[in-house]
Amino acid sequence: MDEDNPSKTTRPSAADVTRERETFVRTFLRKGVEFTEELLRENDDLRARVALLESDNAALRTQVKSDDAMRDVLRTIERLEQEKRSLLDRSSQLEQLTRRHEGRYAAIEQELNDLANLYVASFQLHSTLKPGTVLQHIKELLAQLVGAERFCVYVLSDDGTEAIPVGSEGLLESELLPIKVGQGSVGTVCATGVSSVKQGDPLGEGSVESPLAVLPMQVDGQTVGVISIVALLEQKHAWVQVDQELFHLLGSHAAAALLAAHLYQRQPDLLSALAGLGDGLK
Amino acid sequence: MMRQLLVFALQRVREVEVTEADDGVDGLRKLAGQRFDLIITDINMPIMDGLKLVKRIRSDEVHKDVPIIIITTEGSQEDRSRALALGANAYITKPIQAPQVIAKVKELLKLD
Repeated sequence: MDEDNPSKTTRPSAADVTRERETFVRTFLRKGVEFTEELLRENDDLRARVALLESDNAALRTQVKSDDAMRDVLRTIERLEQEKRSLLDRSSQLEQLTRRHEGRYAAIEQELNDLANLYVASFQLHSTLKPGTVLQHIKELLAQLVGAERFCVYVLSDDGTEAIPVGSEGLLESELLPIKVGQGSVGTVCATGVSSVKQGDPLGEGSVESPLAVLPMQVDGQTVGVISIVALLEQKHAWVQVDQELFHLLGSHAAAALLAAHLYQRQPDLLSALAGLGDGLK
Repeated sequence: MMRQLLVFALQRVREVEVTEADDGVDGLRKLAGQRFDLIITDINMPIMDGLKLVKRIRSDEVHKDVPIIIITTEGSQEDRSRALALGANAYITKPIQAPQVIAKVKELLKLD
């Protein structure tokens, strides 16, 4: 509008229009830039928020995984504990079985040992036809297997009335005297043929008159002599199981070995000694 | 008799081969001809007793460290101490228990 003629409308000039247009465009562009910058800021904010959310999410996932892993570990532990209990039970059963077997093995070893002793003793007694050597073997058997320290071997006299000492260990000459059959411990066993063995742990020491054991030596049920055990070695305090077997062996085999050796001595030629055997066996 | 019992018992140990000697002198003769891993001896022996034998073995260059087991009727602590002082590794008293001897042999030879 013109100020001098208010009723008349003034048309803007081209320059004004251009200026207005430029101003509009600048304003528009500026607003556009501001809007864009705002959008970019918001975008950055959103990106940051997304990153944060992703981080939280990852942490939560990790936590969940960790909890799952923990649960797995606990389950595994429980399973292993059960296996361990089962294995311990099995181990305990096997230990009991092993102990039973060990006990049985030890018992068998001992039996085998005892049988070996008896075999060797028997073998030694019958391995010679020299009376002196048989007697030596009897003494070794008493010392090394029975553990006798002082003992005497008697054989009956020709008339059967006395027991004559023929071999001994650890006894004085003065103690080695003939004993009347029927008198004292030795004489009684000569008469009855029944062994006399003291019991006890410790056995202590006996004497010539009262020995720890008197064992008859018999052939075909007939007493031909006795073995008298007066004392045991220091380290042996009592009889053991195999001693009873050894006494039994001595009782029969020692007498037979002595008798055979004695008879052979009368006829040292073996073939002559066999004369008539074949007929006797028919 | 002891020797026979020991041989009988030791034959049950698979890893062991046994050589016998009649007495201490015979034992030394055998030691001169061959190296052994373990020696078992009595004390009361003719010609050379077990303690003298142990002394001789311990002065022998080849066998001075070989384990020696003494098996004897001598049961006193003095006899045991004297034998161990001379160099014996084990002292077992009679009457012989084969499982005991076998266990000691396995222990000294480090067998199972």
